[in-house]
Amino acid sequence: MKKSLRFGSAIAIAATASLTLASCGFGGGSGDEADGKTTIDMLVPSYSDNTQGLWEDVIAGFEEENPDIAIDLEVQSWDNLESVITTKIQGGEAPDIYNGGPFAGFAADELLYTAEEVVSPEVLSDFQDSFIANTEVDGTAYALPLIASARALFVNNALLEQAGVAAPPTTWDELLDAATKVSALGGGIAGYGMPLGSEEAQAEAAVWLWGGGGSFGDAEEITVDDPANLPGAEQIKKMIDAGATQADPGSTDRSPLMDIFVQGQIGMQVGLPPTVGQIEEGNPELDYSIVPIPTQDGSPFTLGVMDQLMAFQNDGDKQDAITKFFDYYYAADVYVPWVQAEGFLPVTKSGAEQLAGEEALAPFLELLPDAKFYPSTNPKWSATDGAFKALFGQLQTKGAQEVLTEIQAQVDAG
Amino acid sequence: MSTTSETSPIPAGTADGSPRGRDGEPNTAEPAARRSGPHRPGGRELLASLPWIGPALLLILGVVLFPAGVMFFNSTRDISLSGLDQGSVGFDNYVEVFSFPYFWPIFVRTIVWVVAVVGATVLISLGLAQILNKAFPGRRIVRLAVIIPWAASVVMTTLVVYYGLEPYFGIVNTFLVDLGLIDTPEGYGWTRNPDTAFGWSIVVAVFVSLPFTTYTILAGLQTVPGEVLEAAKMDGAGPARTYFGVILPQLRGALSVAVLINIINVFNSLPILKVMTGSIPGYDADTIMTLIFKYIQNQHKVDVASALSVVAFLIVIVIVAVYVRVVKPMKEV
Repeated sequence: MKKSLRFGSAIAIAATASLTLASCGFGGGSGDEADGKTTIDMLVPSYSDNTQGLWEDVIAGFEEENPDIAIDLEVQSWDNLESVITTKIQGGEAPDIYNGGPFAGFAADELLYTAEEVVSPEVLSDFQDSFIANTEVDGTAYALPLIASARALFVNNALLEQAGVAAPPTTWDELLDAATKVSALGGGIAGYGMPLGSEEAQAEAAVWLWGGGGSFGDAEEITVDDPANLPGAEQIKKMIDAGATQADPGSTDRSPLMDIFVQGQIGMQVGLPPTVGQIEEGNPELDYSIVPIPTQDGSPFTLGVMDQLMAFQNDGDKQDAITKFFDYYYAADVYVPWVQAEGFLPVTKSGAEQLAGEEALAPFLELLPDAKFYPSTNPKWSATDGAFKALFGQLQTKGAQEVLTEIQAQVDAG
Repeated sequence: MSTTSETSPIPAGTADGSPRGRDGEPNTAEPAARRSGPHRPGGRELLASLPWIGPALLLILGVVLFPAGVMFFNSTRDISLSGLDQGSVGFDNYVEVFSFPYFWPIFVRTIVWVVAVVGATVLISLGLAQILNKAFPGRRIVRLAVIIPWAASVVMTTLVVYYGLEPYFGIVNTFLVDLGLIDTPEGYGWTRNPDTAFGWSIVVAVFVSLPFTTYTILAGLQTVPGEVLEAAKMDGAGPARTYFGVILPQLRGALSVAVLINIINVFNSLPILKVMTGSIPGYDADTIMTLIFKYIQNQHKVDVASALSVVAFLIVIVIVAVYVRVVKPMKEV
């Protein structure tokens, strides 16, 4: 009996030990500095199938120049990215470098290095002014612009011609008219592709609400429930009621809908620079053109979206290594091929110069001066973004004012 | 819930088992232990049995109680958007959960979801198990076919259905259009409308729950002794009477396990609804699980999500307690 008791307690001890060891995951071991190397953890989203390879190339080049620094790359899908970063921060395992969208919440929690602290002055002054201004909270930049994209209207010329529309629309009235005519062609063809599903509802919302003179607010205040936003929301309803869109716009996601546009079944849809590559790959025969987004009064406007790189203050001893990496990455001969391969727009002055002659990007680069950005420096932007994704598509069934009020309420509660 | 169903047999087992375990050793106290033993194990016996049940208890502590404790702790904190703990807020997060205008519709939908999926699964499985229990050529292959949905990941199975239902290029939609059942050429937006998406989710959930349930019931069927069936036949009972009077009562144990595990499983199921109804705006197709997911993913409110998780945890415990109380799955026939 004694023997088995001892055996039992051995098992108990082993079990305790393994549980204790397993729970180490909660405390988190910090960056291992075994062989004198500094290891930088880097978390990035996947923009395309190339993303991982592109970053690996950048890292390989960098590690060759800086043998004392190792970079640990982790690629996540956009869907998961934000929950991954939240989980990591909560577990005390924040990456050193992070590529993402909203950053004001991190800045408010004092987790980030300022831009000045992690790049050399030359690189900092190379960023387009409007972009770096968009990463400032109270006058201090907390993130580095990485890529930009602008939206434009992709038009299926063949369908418009078939429907008897002479020129691509520039105002809402023309758009409604053209889309209704294209929809009337029948055979499953939709006039205007309107993705209000949860994938990126905030983008389509911005296209319409801002196109009617509205805005989501600024760094201090979020103003979704604003009379200025009403015309845009009502115009969306008008489009839906007139049958000018595809079926069930309220729950259609952007990417699958874009595939249908690429197949030639949709007359017009708002797209991004990478859409050009998508069409080239999926249906090179497609006869299309890229025109500015129609607005209420026809004035030029585009939704600019910028993603950022940011650096988390983890141990404080990696600042130099991070600075070296950013300086390496933003050098034109590394950065430009990277941006070009992803099909986005460059955010540095030197990059814009190099890519000025690029034909596919020309229509977007032209629109960039009129770009308006999300109020992403507002700490509530993240909640706003979530509220749009969850609620905006209800426009299909509910009243415009009701939906805007509901979004504002969720933002205020968040 | 697994603690209640797992720990309760253990003390009972040790009470009977420990005296027998000592049989091999010369132990004079044995008769005394036996006299007082069967009713209530004394503190000393519990202590003596600790080395045996200790590791299991530790495991339960580590994988069930500890996470539940962390979850409860998180539900009373204010956790910032980026995941930092900013102090206690008492029960404010619970207030937010219950004052959410869509909470009660979602609660009711969750119950509908569990009842519909578990009910349909058990009924279909009873039939399937009955067929699989008959000897027929190729039975082994058919049994294999039933288990295959289990081998595929739930997300994969759901995605297959999801894309099948897509307007424009989904095969189910195309089929329905070709048959002339749907008159718009792009098909119907099954997964774009809350009600139809929820309905199809139930179909998928039943489909993926069938293998486990069928096999549990099949295992139960094979314990029904042949003599009993023969006796029923001798007494002149028809097939229906044999089934309801003889076979079904003997399946009580297997059915209880199947229903209990399915209730817990289906209640906590996220992937099917997430895939099928993920792009639908608003909260008209959500259950408590997808709401928890939305709190985390869309609104980054880990604290409120934790509060809702605690609520969900309690709901499951209540459902299981009521079930155990009413059905008494442990009672022998």
